[in-house]
Amino acid sequence: MLDRMEGKYDVVVVGGGPAGMGAALGARDSGAERVLILDREPEAGGILWQCIHSGFGLHYFREELTGPEYAERFFEKVIDYEVDLVTNSYVSGISVDSDGTKSVRVMNEEHGMDTVNTKSVVLSMGCRERTRGSIRIPGTRPSGVLPAGLAQKIVNLKGYLPGKRIAILGSGDIGLIMARRLTLEGCKVAGVFEIMPYSNGLTRNVVQCLEDFGIPLHLSTTVAYIHGLDRVEKITVAPVSKDLKPDMSRAWDVKCDTLLLSIGLIPENELSLSLGIQMDVVTGGPRVSSTLETSMPGVFASGNVLHVHDLVDFVTRESLLAGQFAGEWAQGVRRPADNIRLVPGDNVRYCVPHSLSPEREHTIYMRCKEAMMPCRIRVGNLMERKLRFVVPAEMIIFKIKPDLLDKFHGDTLRIDILPAEKGKRHD
Amino acid sequence: MIKAKQYTCIGCPIGCPLQLQHEGKDITEISGYECDRGAKYAKQEFTDPRRDMSTTVEIIGARWKRLPVKVTGPVEKDRVMEAARKIHELRVRAPVKLGQILIEDFLDQKAIHVVSCRTMERID
Ligand SMILES: Cc1cc2nc3c(=O)[nH]c(=O)nc-3n(C[C@H](O)[C@H](O)[C@H](O)COP(=O)(O)OP(=O)(O)OC[C@H]3O[C@@H](n4cnc5c(N)ncnc54)[C@H](O)[C@@H]3O)c2cc1C
Ligand code: SF4
Repeated sequence: MLDRMEGKYDVVVVGGGPAGMGAALGARDSGAERVLILDREPEAGGILWQCIHSGFGLHYFREELTGPEYAERFFEKVIDYEVDLVTNSYVSGISVDSDGTKSVRVMNEEHGMDTVNTKSVVLSMGCRERTRGSIRIPGTRPSGVLPAGLAQKIVNLKGYLPGKRIAILGSGDIGLIMARRLTLEGCKVAGVFEIMPYSNGLTRNVVQCLEDFGIPLHLSTTVAYIHGLDRVEKITVAPVSKDLKPDMSRAWDVKCDTLLLSIGLIPENELSLSLGIQMDVVTGGPRVSSTLETSMPGVFASGNVLHVHDLVDFVTRESLLAGQFAGEWAQGVRRPADNIRLVPGDNVRYCVPHSLSPEREHTIYMRCKEAMMPCRIRVGNLMERKLRFVVPAEMIIFKIKPDLLDKFHGDTLRIDILPAEKGKRHD
Repeated sequence: MIKAKQYTCIGCPIGCPLQLQHEGKDITEISGYECDRGAKYAKQEFTDPRRDMSTTVEIIGARWKRLPVKVTGPVEKDRVMEAARKIHELRVRAPVKLGQILIEDFLDQKAIHVVSCRTMERID
């Protein structure tokens, strides 16, 4: 038994990335005495340690930081707040007793299996990358095909290169950032291939990670075949037709020894599933109330495990809140259940949280299905906001004030993104 | 003779295609932007393009093999590869502190340093 983990905790946070650290701070702020973070890695900070580029913290620290700087600054707060942190500890299961106590099963590198008891839990396990299996690229199965974020960890923490001549499938930000990273390290990046007619990454990354280095971006193009026995030798790429099927008559070969996949992230929810928590099939994360509580009373969720965020600042903001509610729960506060369901409507892929209460102000996080410009967001008949544009890659965030919800008498509030009304100019 | 250059504004996800016309070093016209940031960006890209720079260097005696570092001010775009090569010559010994200066006045720029982006303890 790890001496630090003895007795019963108020809040146990699973995962010590920015979400877990934020939740722990929020819990301490709410007055919870005993808060524990468990992480399977040797240090807290999550994915931030490997994101060595700048672009973090503009909202939270009001300064543009690299990922490691954000992690360390935030981690110092966690220490100041007297949160217990146990690393090298993989959480393999959570169960709930009849009196509501949660038992968290931990596997620790040195101490073996252990169980920690707690009143409430925050899930903040982050997300993982989609792999070759999830899109079924035909061909042989040589080594040298790996997710771009894994390559990022290998290069930035472990200090070796995944290969010499690199091709990248998918133009999300991780793929773009790795194209520049590997070029700076002396690799040759043969090209980035994107099945959609547009890049999924920020324009800034397309310009500064590809164009600056003359790396070609092939839109509406996919990898149709992987060649090589032990090691990738080349890939066949082909333009795609409207239904996204490769047109093999226009295919060509690209010589490379490595293929990086930047094809999306999925929330890491094995634990949530094993608890029988209700999930949102679109986000891949749990369904949560306006207190970020899952369908299991006393179990909360925040960060990438809930829905994939593009900015760590918003992970932090959401997690502080989740931690606060988890801390309150541990101290016996029971808030009335939400009475308004929030549902996605026209051109809305998802919105979080899944329900609201007129008791408080709410921050809504959502994504659109398709780019639209200019447009307006309509929340039932309560409010309408004009926006210059929406794009799927950029999360939309807005607040709903409690007095607005007081006026609402239905039980379902629908959010739509609609084209801007003609004749009215957007501001 | 008037020549044209194309840029894509990085100010926001709209990504306006910008056109800059110039005679030698003089800008004669900028077009294609939806807001002032675009014009400012094209001008900066034409006169003095610069990039934020971060990379990693070898570290000995620490938990990880690489230490993340950054240059504290933007580097001229044309010197990014040269800067990377210079920085990669570094070999650091743990312990290192967040913000510790590793190369002073980098590329002969006063008060622009290469600094460590994190603390790394010594581990034997
Ligand atoms: C390449 C890349 C570029 C990015 N660029 C930016 C950017 O420029 N600006 C920006 O603001 N954001 C950026 N982000 C996003 C930001 O880094 C993430 O949104 C943020 O780190 C998510 O935090 P998290 O705590 O939810 O997840 P993570 O950081 O992934 O942390 C999850 C933690 O949980 C642990 N864990 C998981 N399961 C278990 C378990 N069963 N037991 C114990 N521990 C467990 C993991 O080890 C990990 O430490 C980027 C992300 C990537 C990948
Ligand atoms: S010019 Fe303005 S609107 Fe156009 S991309 Fe730049 S910042 Fe966005």
